[in-house]
Amino acid sequence: MTTTDTGARRRASDVRPVITDLIDPATVEAIAAEAWVALIGEDEVLVPLPGELPVDIVSSWVDVVGPWTGSVVLTTARSTAEELSRALLRDTAPAVLDDEDVADAFGEIANVVGGNVKAALPGPSALSLPQVGNAPLVRNPADVCRLDLLWRGEPVAISVQGALPPLPGSTPTRENEVS
Amino acid sequence: MKILIADDSRVMRQIVIRTLRQAGYDDHDIVEAEDGADALAKVSSEQPDLVLSDWNMPNMTGIECLQALRASGSAVPFGFVTSEGSAEMRERAANAGALFLIAKPFTEDTFKEHLDGVIA
Amino acid sequence: MRALVIDDSRAMRRIVTGILAGFGYEVRDAEHGRAALDVLGEGWLPDLATIDWNMPVMDGLQFVSAVRANPAWRSMTMMMVTSESEHTQIVRALAAGAHEYVIKPFTADAIRDKLALLGLLPQEVSL
Repeated sequence: MTTTDTGARRRASDVRPVITDLIDPATVEAIAAEAWVALIGEDEVLVPLPGELPVDIVSSWVDVVGPWTGSVVLTTARSTAEELSRALLRDTAPAVLDDEDVADAFGEIANVVGGNVKAALPGPSALSLPQVGNAPLVRNPADVCRLDLLWRGEPVAISVQGALPPLPGSTPTRENEVS
Repeated sequence: MKILIADDSRVMRQIVIRTLRQAGYDDHDIVEAEDGADALAKVSSEQPDLVLSDWNMPNMTGIECLQALRASGSAVPFGFVTSEGSAEMRERAANAGALFLIAKPFTEDTFKEHLDGVIA
Repeated sequence: MRALVIDDSRAMRRIVTGILAGFGYEVRDAEHGRAALDVLGEGWLPDLATIDWNMPVMDGLQFVSAVRANPAWRSMTMMMVTSESEHTQIVRALAAGAHEYVIKPFTADAIRDKLALLGLLPQEVSL
């Protein structure tokens, strides 16, 4: 930059991109749809309709660290995570799935979706190993791309969410500020 | 042929094995490794004819494993099966001596495309 | 403005202190999270803390969590300083309440850019 910075003309998006500047929900949905077909099964579709998540939920996610830093988080009912794991394991699924099987399988779905989201974002960036548990909190509501989908009638939420808090003074109204 | 499959996810190792079978490569010995360090040790103890490795693993990543193999003089055919298929990673893989990089999610056709000619 | 530089490496403390002092900061340092909490406990509350990840006694993640537990320290901006090998873990520190991060090795310009974004440059610096 060669212009003198007055502070007033800077917007967050000039220097620190938020996810909505980088990827659109349709791209995330296409990535998820492809992952579902390949991992869960050929006829397994994600329907873009919101459903209400129950109380007993579980998340799996991977972190992306680079020009954009945040997490790609899948959240479903615990029972849906088990069903997904069973579908993923197919004939190798044990009669009773233990927590480790579900963590492994559900984490791997986040890994595949997250890896492909990462590939669609500006790089270079790095991907963490998958984690399973309570999702990281949303730090900046303006830095979230969220999809609410249904799989076999059960809600599946996919959230691509930034890990950095909003910059000082970067409230949405500032977006309209004229330099 | 003996094929070593390295992935920290047991589920993903099973999916890779299943996809190999679906792609018609069902008559081979499979050895599993749960991270890069395990894969490195098993290349020397098991002498596989091909390594199919994840990229992101604890202890030692797939690319570190490949670099260690090449540094130690091993020329074992090595391909990645990973959730990240960016141009940057494909280039790093090729530069380190990988034959191919299969990005997840994959299908049996993706496997055939990359493995025909590699697996006898 | 005040900054607290938290790192178990004396060399790193010197480097970061030098950079921040160059921007006009009054700087103190601490060799681990516990020592840093002692400084805050004295009532010396900085505008900025730079926090190494791996430290003995109390590591960076534990320090961030401890700071977030005390509402009196909310105004302090926490910047993690991480190495390339551990940087995929950085989101854990951010989720725990850290505000920014830099990856080693870094330049004074990289720090200045981050501080400018955060509104934490004491002097008006033309970019």
